[in-house]
Amino acid sequence: MTAVAYNLEEPVTEKALIQLEDITKTYDAGENAVQALDGIDVAIEYGQFVSIIGPSGSGKSTLMHILGCLDTPTTGKYWLDGQDVAELSARALARIRNQKIGFVFQTFNLLPRATVLKNVELPLLYAGLSRVERRARAHEALERVGLTNRAKFRPNELSGGQRQRVAIARALVNNPSLILADEPTGNLDQKTGSEIIDIFENLSGQETIIIVTHDPTIASRTERRIKLVDGRIVDGEGIE
Amino acid sequence: MILFESIIDGIRDIKDHLGRTMLQLVGIILGAGSIVATFSLSVAGKAASMEYYRVSGGIQKIWIWDRPTGKVTLDAKALASRGLTYGDALAIQNGAKEVDLVSPVSQESMTIRYRNVEKPRSVMGVAPAYSPMNDVHAARGRFITDNDLVTGARVVVFGSDRAQEFFSTDDPIGKIVSINGTGYEVVGVMEEKYFSFDHKRNVMRWMNRQIYMPITTFFTRKGEPLAGGKVSFMHARMRDIKKHEEAVDQIRKVLLREHGVKDYDVMSRVANLRRNEQNNRMYDMTFMICGIISLLVGGIVVMNIQLASFNERVREVGTRKAVGASPAQIFSQFLSESILVSVFGGFIGLFVGKLFTDGIAALTRDPAIITADTVVKALIFAAGTGLIFGMYPAIRASRLNPIEALRTE
Repeated sequence: MTAVAYNLEEPVTEKALIQLEDITKTYDAGENAVQALDGIDVAIEYGQFVSIIGPSGSGKSTLMHILGCLDTPTTGKYWLDGQDVAELSARALARIRNQKIGFVFQTFNLLPRATVLKNVELPLLYAGLSRVERRARAHEALERVGLTNRAKFRPNELSGGQRQRVAIARALVNNPSLILADEPTGNLDQKTGSEIIDIFENLSGQETIIIVTHDPTIASRTERRIKLVDGRIVDGEGIE
Repeated sequence: MILFESIIDGIRDIKDHLGRTMLQLVGIILGAGSIVATFSLSVAGKAASMEYYRVSGGIQKIWIWDRPTGKVTLDAKALASRGLTYGDALAIQNGAKEVDLVSPVSQESMTIRYRNVEKPRSVMGVAPAYSPMNDVHAARGRFITDNDLVTGARVVVFGSDRAQEFFSTDDPIGKIVSINGTGYEVVGVMEEKYFSFDHKRNVMRWMNRQIYMPITTFFTRKGEPLAGGKVSFMHARMRDIKKHEEAVDQIRKVLLREHGVKDYDVMSRVANLRRNEQNNRMYDMTFMICGIISLLVGGIVVMNIQLASFNERVREVGTRKAVGASPAQIFSQFLSESILVSVFGGFIGLFVGKLFTDGIAALTRDPAIITADTVVKALIFAAGTGLIFGMYPAIRASRLNPIEALRTE
């Protein structure tokens, strides 16, 4: 074989959206330091619908914070969409979150005083888009979750399921590479929760979605499950 | 864009919590109000006195008047001094180089009669210099001339009120009036002088109530020798305001030489102005310090309220950060909120300042003008307070860790 490997220096992340290499996270609490993540290696492809499951204290939340660029790992490499994001400044991380990540939280985290439309516009505001463009794209995102008729409402005028759909619209509005949902059905009844998962299901394929959950029913509906115990992946269903 | 949104948010916040906001802003409102009042009164007071000086002959005017010493002296010359005389006026004219005009005035009540109107009225013996010295001119006919002075002419010039009083609708020019039984020809009527600090009282009305004759005629009719003629007071005018001290010194020197005793007072308007300015500065400072203290207290209140509202909004800050707000964006959002709220307070302070100003102006009868400059100053002070005291809450918000912020209940 004489062919030279021309692509030796190309990032290994060429094919995967997310590439984690030996990620550790230690919370330094003096003598009893906590090892929240202990060597995570995982790749997640574009358009995958993934759940991260595991008992409480398994490191789910920590992993999700690192994946969401809300936190940085103690050691290890993290490539997101071809970019090394493991050691970026707070400002640079804010930019990555703004451009590449959409969050959906258990408690919705909508701004109570702003209208649905303004809530959905929020990421675009920080991206510096014009008012007209923000409005157009926010309407588009609301259409995708079927809430265009609630644009002028305030969050407290909506049901829990509707609020979560607003949050999903907000996560979609900046065309992110990755949607991260942290227990998105945790505050909803079973039926409503199931409807929310329907939305994610419909979006999957076009969007890369990671749901952090402890609910096996929800996890069973994703195409891939990553199970964490004590800061390690015990079952990744296809660690490449 | 974010700034604009923050301002919209801030305005909505003020609207939603109007009562709380007003309480929060009491300090800033009072502070800005005091600043407005201080500047308004100070600026207007100064402008009004400058204007008064201007219409009454300018700040280059020097007053000279008698001051009985009350001292017992054996000095023959001092004993002989009769106070200010016409001779002194001539001596100052010749001896004080920094003086370009001297206007001696002798004043006495005389009986004035025209047809069937007869009244005792004050008459001034003056030189032609009186007119430029006091910036008062003949509206009809002419004022006293050098020729009148030399010939001791029996001519009189009436102030506007006096002309009205004695002649009513008649044209006074060319008419003969009797003064202490002697006939005088009316050769002029003066213009009406007006100046008011409070738009009510004409402080120059006394000038309209004068009757002027040549000072030489005045002495002759009283039987006094010309050079020794007793002068009630004099005005002198300095050549150069920068040399006001020299001018006053030279006048004092001449008078001391003539009198041998300090039985006179000399004061320039420039010196008087300086003294007034010093007094006013004390008054301004007091009010200004009150304003600044109010602003400081107001600023601390703003800071506390901002911190409290920040604690209420930790989750909101966390959410904003999660969707990509950078620390700088959060910082500018919080800071612009406190600046906005302070400027709002400053704006209300303008109206409170207007009330203060009107109140003080009504009590002291001082003039007051609220200028654009004053308004801008008050708003800048208010905005500055918001900027300084909004800094700490804004820094705290910008440094908030999004994970912990989102975890807060």
